[in-house]
Amino acid sequence: MDIEVEAYLRPPEMYMPPYPAKVITLATGGKLVIRQVTRDVVPTLLQAVKPTLEVERDYYDIVGARLYAELLGWYRYRVRDEFCLVGQIEGLLVGIVNTRSFSPEVDISLHTLAIERGLRIGAHLFAAKMEYSIEYLGRKEVLITAESPIGFRRWMIEYGLEKRDGQHELGGATPFALTRDLYFRNKDRLVAGERPVPADLMEVAEREIIIASEDDILEKILGAKRRLVQ
Amino acid sequence: MRPVVVAGAGMIPFERRDEDSLVGMMAVAGLNAMDDAGLGDRAVDAVYVGNMASGLFNHQVSVASALVDRLSLMPAAADRIENGPASGGSAIKNGFLAVASGYADIVLVVGGEKMREVIGPKATDIVAAMTHPSAEYIYGVTLPALAGLFTRLYMEKYGVTREHLTMVAIKNQENGLLNPYAHIRMKITMEGVLTHPQAHINSPIVADPLHLYDCCPVSDGAAAVLLTTEEIAKELNKPIVTIDGVGQATDTHTLQERSDPTDLKAVTVASERAFSMAGLKPKDVDVAELHDAFTILEIAESEHAGFFPKGEGAKALEAGETRIGGKLPINPSGGLKARGHPVGATGVAQAVELVWQLRGEAGDRQVKKATTGFSLNFGGFGNNVLAFVLRRKS
Amino acid sequence: MSNITAYKCKSCGLVMYPHHFRCLQCHKREFEEITPSEKGKLLTFTIVEQLPWGFDERGRVLGVVEFDNGVKALGVILAESPKIGMKLKAGWDSVRMIGDQKVYGLTFEPA
Ligand SMILES: CC(C)(COP(=O)(O)OP(=O)(O)OC[C@H]1O[C@@H](n2cnc3c(N)ncnc32)[C@H](O)[C@@H]1OP(=O)(O)O)[C@@H](O)C(=O)NCCC(=O)NCCS
Ligand SMILES: [Zn+2]
Repeated sequence: MDIEVEAYLRPPEMYMPPYPAKVITLATGGKLVIRQVTRDVVPTLLQAVKPTLEVERDYYDIVGARLYAELLGWYRYRVRDEFCLVGQIEGLLVGIVNTRSFSPEVDISLHTLAIERGLRIGAHLFAAKMEYSIEYLGRKEVLITAESPIGFRRWMIEYGLEKRDGQHELGGATPFALTRDLYFRNKDRLVAGERPVPADLMEVAEREIIIASEDDILEKILGAKRRLVQ
Repeated sequence: MRPVVVAGAGMIPFERRDEDSLVGMMAVAGLNAMDDAGLGDRAVDAVYVGNMASGLFNHQVSVASALVDRLSLMPAAADRIENGPASGGSAIKNGFLAVASGYADIVLVVGGEKMREVIGPKATDIVAAMTHPSAEYIYGVTLPALAGLFTRLYMEKYGVTREHLTMVAIKNQENGLLNPYAHIRMKITMEGVLTHPQAHINSPIVADPLHLYDCCPVSDGAAAVLLTTEEIAKELNKPIVTIDGVGQATDTHTLQERSDPTDLKAVTVASERAFSMAGLKPKDVDVAELHDAFTILEIAESEHAGFFPKGEGAKALEAGETRIGGKLPINPSGGLKARGHPVGATGVAQAVELVWQLRGEAGDRQVKKATTGFSLNFGGFGNNVLAFVLRRKS
Repeated sequence: MSNITAYKCKSCGLVMYPHHFRCLQCHKREFEEITPSEKGKLLTFTIVEQLPWGFDERGRVLGVVEFDNGVKALGVILAESPKIGMKLKAGWDSVRMIGDQKVYGLTFEPA
């Protein structure tokens, strides 16, 4: 590697205080641990993203492809100020969220990928990254766009987000914003989690990020039954 | 009237089915019922389709004509029957009358709905279109909201608690795990949806006092039964399950005009009519499929249909009497809560479950020695209700 | 002030809202048109968090009110902490947009 050239290519990095891990008790009674990961686990995470690239349902393909590129870019120092949180149940990876800081005032929410469905895991993870941006990084607002109707329903409608002019980094539909005020107004209703995470749960989560098999991921996202008439 | 046999029963798994069309789903369910009956090449005389709102959900009307075409059943008579969330039950009633009266010998009844073509809040709006236009709809009333108004009064009057409501959800989602056709296949716990300090985030309020897990999901799906005479059923060589009782009754459009809004009169009258036609009593029933679009309804209907005295339904639930293996298993299929509620399909799916139960074909969720089944399909908010009594003949 | 019309059966006296062509009780067809009184009490209510498409709000309180003259109607309850039995005063306001049209209906404030 040409260190001199590399120095031009690597983006500078802002300091971000760490996100303290939390645990959420799910409707099943199961424990969802949400924690921040560092870039060295990206290759593991990509294994879980890869199978989604061909799933058209709910725009998983677009979300998956973009998330794949964003994580890879972060891993290889080509994306600036990105953070990534993961959700695990007994070690098993059930969701990934990422955001990029644009400035000390504004974050840009990138993607939410839930690998387990029907348990509001995507919603809990999305809430967690908002919590990080607003409460721990002190941003004034987070810019958000949705790629699927489900995203629109969960983010724009559930949080009652405000419309913004201009463009979102992803270059899609006109962005919405979660302001500090909106966040704190919705917090009790939407942001769950208890801290600190009990040591045994944390130990299991940190020991290994378990990735479900490709078939399992496809089945969990698509549902077991698929279409009737080909 | 001549006896009416359910010679075939079939459905497709309920869930969100983006890739399938409404008529496609109904066709597959219809084929499943025809094949289950071993109908072969015999002609179907008439088709009744239960569907609430294909015009609004899917921008398609005349779906009964479309269905006979997909199944090449021409020149069979074909009608779509609309009675809100009880469209499926009404379609069965019409099929029953056609066979009982001698108008038709072989009738296919299919219920289907494809609700997930639109986003959730739009589905809510379409479902709310069944409320009174000027006295309810304009205020933003939803079906969960009507159920919420009812639940608050019922809880106050009979001491039903949120724990009771959650017990219904837990039981039915547990049953749903045993049903490969169920939309929601997930075990939930009292802690996760009610008692944990943050449970309200997992199970947010939909229409207080009802939360997410008190409501049925919004589903796509279809179910079908094939009705015929005893003679033909014997030739088809299927176990004989007959429709012995059919009851239907109506009530005021708005909840507020009922002198006692906690009194579901149409449920009581429809059930009495079904039992009286069958010459049976509630205590003769071995298995029941009730319309638990909202958890409170399973409790309230179990009382109004005559299985328990008013105010005792929650106690029976608490005592485990309504579980599979209890005295009167209610919703072994998972009910609307877990099987899902594609509105027009539900009444037919209830009959399908009863047929499977009475034939002993219900697999892991089989209610032992079930010979008499009861189903209740609740339209509007209790303003148009159908009840059925089905029996297995030895 | 509310703008709805209720109907009192000239034969048996039953008060009805909304309109029926025949009396719910005696099936006669003659009614006296009446307006609800100013005040009433709350019979039941619900807080709707998931409103249909087209509503830009959450947590709307809907309730059934019995007016002092016996009319019963559903409306939007504008009370911080609604309680069954509370006294309410009726108003008339925009309750929904249908297309770009405001639709008016009953609203109730604590009396
Ligand atoms: C309660 C309700 C508002 C929840 O809607 P929502 O939060 O938008 O749910 P979503 O559609 O985003 O569902 C996401 C997942 O959550 C789960 N889920 C949704 N609703 C559920 C429910 N009521 N119970 C259990 N799980 C549910 C499902 O797994 C669903 O996955 P799917 O997309 O594969 O079906 C909606 O289900 C509803 O309106 N129910 C009542 C329907 C009704 O009134 N029917 C007519 C009665 S007569
Ligand atoms: Zn009268």
